[in-house]
Parts: sequence; C-alpha cells; structure tokens
Amino acid sequence: MRFSLSFFLHRLYKRVAFAVNRAADYAMFAGFVLIAGIGSAWYMVDTGSALTTDRVGPWVAWHSAARPDADPYTRAHFARMGTLPMSSVVAQTFIARYDEGGSRLHSSCEYAVKGHDIAGSWWSLSVFDDDGRIIPNPAGRYAFTSDTIALRPNGSYAVTLARDARPGNWLPTGGAGRLALMLSIVDLGLSSSEKDREEEENPIPTIEQVDCR
Amino acid sequence: MSVTRKKVLSWLPRPRFRIVALALFCVVILHIAATLAATRLAPATAYQRLADLLPANTMQVLPPIGPGKQPLPFMGPDARYAMCRFDTTKGPVSISANLPGAGWSLSLYSDKGTSLYTAVAQPGRRTQVSLVLSRKETDKFSGLTDEAAGRAIQRDRSLAVPAKRGIAVLRAPDQGAVYQAKNEAELKRSLCGLKNSVASAR
Repeated sequence: MRFSLSFFLHRLYKRVAFAVNRAADYAMFAGFVLIAGIGSAWYMVDTGSALTTDRVGPWVAWHSAARPDADPYTRAHFARMGTLPMSSVVAQTFIARYDEGGSRLHSSCEYAVKGHDIAGSWWSLSVFDDDGRIIPNPAGRYAFTSDTIALRPNGSYAVTLARDARPGNWLPTGGAGRLALMLSIVDLGLSSSEKDREEEENPIPTIEQVDCR
Repeated sequence: MSVTRKKVLSWLPRPRFRIVALALFCVVILHIAATLAATRLAPATAYQRLADLLPANTMQVLPPIGPGKQPLPFMGPDARYAMCRFDTTKGPVSISANLPGAGWSLSLYSDKGTSLYTAVAQPGRRTQVSLVLSRKETDKFSGLTDEAAGRAIQRDRSLAVPAKRGIAVLRAPDQGAVYQAKNEAELKRSLCGLKNSVASAR
C-alpha cells in the first residue's frame, strides 16, 4: 500500500512537472512573439527607421508623409498623431524632441536654434509641448516664419527658446515641460541649380543647449 | 572545445529549427497585423477631430491658431487656415481658392489622412485653383451643360478622388500683422460646396 502511494505521488509529480514545463515553453513562445511582434510594430510606427524617416541631427521627417503611396508605418504614425501634414511632395516637416547633445528638450532649459535662411522656400519654426499643443505665453509668440524672423545681414538667424524674455528672436517655452520643435519647409519650385546650392548649405538649424535651471 | 564550454552548451536548450521558424513567422504576422491595426485603432484621426467642427461642403475660415484654439495637434500658429469638410456622396463638390503668394497652399486629404491633391503658390505669381471633386462612379453627365443652360462656361479641373469624404485645407502663411486682414479676406473668398450651388453663387 505504502509502495503504491509513493509510486502514485511520484507519477503525479512527474506529470505536473511535465505540464508546468510545457506551459512555461508555451508562455515563453507567446511572450516572445507578442513582445517582438507588437514591440517592433510600435517602434516602426512611433519612432520610424531609415526606411521611413530622414534624420538630420535631432530633426526627424517622415519622407512619405501624406503621400498617396505612403507606407503603412507612415500612415499609422500620422493617423495616431491626428495631424494633417503637408504632402512631402511639396513640403518637408521636421520635428525635433532632442538637442544636439541628445538630451530631451525641456522648458527648464534655454536653447539656441541657429540656422540660415532657405532662399526660394517658405519656412516656419514653431514650438509645442510634447503632445503638440501650443504653449500659452503672455507675449503671444508661438512661431517664426521666413517672413517674420529677424535675419542677420548674412542671412543667418538665431532663435532663443527660453522661459523668460530674451533679445532678438525669442520663443517662450513657459512651464510646458518636454518640448517639441517643428520646422516646416515648403518647396516653392526652385530651379535645380539653385536647389543644389541650398542643399550644400544645409538649411536645417542646429539646437544647442545654453543653460539649464 | 574545453570541457567547461561543453558543459555550458549541454545545459542550453538545443534550438529546434521548426520552433524558431514558427516563432519568426508568428512575429512577422503579428507585426503586420499590429501595424495595420494601428491606423484603425488610432484614438482620433484628424478627420474625426475636425468632423464635428466643420459643416459639410462649406468653406470655413478658422480663427487664428492659439492656445485652446488648436483643432489638431502640431497645427502651427505660423498660418491661418480655411477648411472644408467635403462629402461627394450627394454629388460633385466644387472647390475654388486663390493662392496669392509664397507659402499659400491648398491641400485635399481623404478621411484616412492621405493627401489627394496639393497646390502650392509660386513666388510673385497668383495661382487660382478650381477643382470639382467627384467619385469615379458618380462622375457622369446629369442634366444640361453650363453652356446649354446659358451660364458661363466654368473651366474647373475635374478630380476623381478615391475617397467619398475628406478635408480641404487652405493655408495662408503668417506674413506679419500688416498682412493679416488681407490674408483673411483672401481666405473668405474661397468657396466649397456642391457643384450646382457653387456655380449659382458665382
């Protein structure tokens, strides 16, 4: 009797161990598939890759934005953002959430955005909070365009992102927390030689951290 | 191969080709399904956000974009906008706008957010855009032509759009305070409506 009970318990133990092992294998398999499948899709839709985005320093532009032949990642990206970007056929829209040093743009810091006027294009530089909302400020300043920015005689400019007033082209950041900068460049149909010259000058501005509180 | 390395390798599970292949296959299927579902599961697309604000087939000039007056995220205060939610299910929709200078643009988007058409003004050149949007299956002759009805012939460009509904966005760049009134007046001159009603308004 004693022998048969221990034999039964041993068999039961082996069966339970086998079932647990099998369940663990299935769980690991399912976990790997879920994490790799959904994680890779989320990354491709949210962040993008070299297949779908152009990256110039901290600036990111989706190169099939709003195009009829856009890839599914680009379509999903803008559908989730809930925006209507201009078609990348005629315009490029860059968004930066980091500075040149790779730190997250934050309203507790001051930044200098330095660039050069893009001849033959209409462009604008706007600052938003992390969710794309305009940052309220008493000065009522939210963006500079190629028509409203103060350029130096050589065509260069510097925009200061800061909480408190600064001389020159100042964009207030208030207490927004994390920031997003948007640069829109509308192509006005320059001739190819002029365009080539502009590309050589690299019209995308740099974002340098000046100070943090 | 050292004895220690052999021992370590013996502890590791031997990779089974079928399991690895099945896992990769499942990852790819789930990746594709998740990517396609992301568009449909978006919390609120731009069209859904604007649908309640804009009456159908009417061009509406939006107030200047500012805090609390921003219909879409990342909608810049660098421009003034006029928008029309077009719906071609009741007939062809006519859209006309002037693009008087650099930075002005007219874009049509489907309800899925895909750009259907974009016109950008050239510097120093006034561009007049006049479009008739229709679904391919509804793009058929119905009634008298303008000429036969005694009306002036409209030289609208017909555009068969692959979407029943969408948004037309007329964008006027911020050129400074001096141009605000002029740009707003230009935005107000733009038209959007069912083809017959716009033709009679002209």
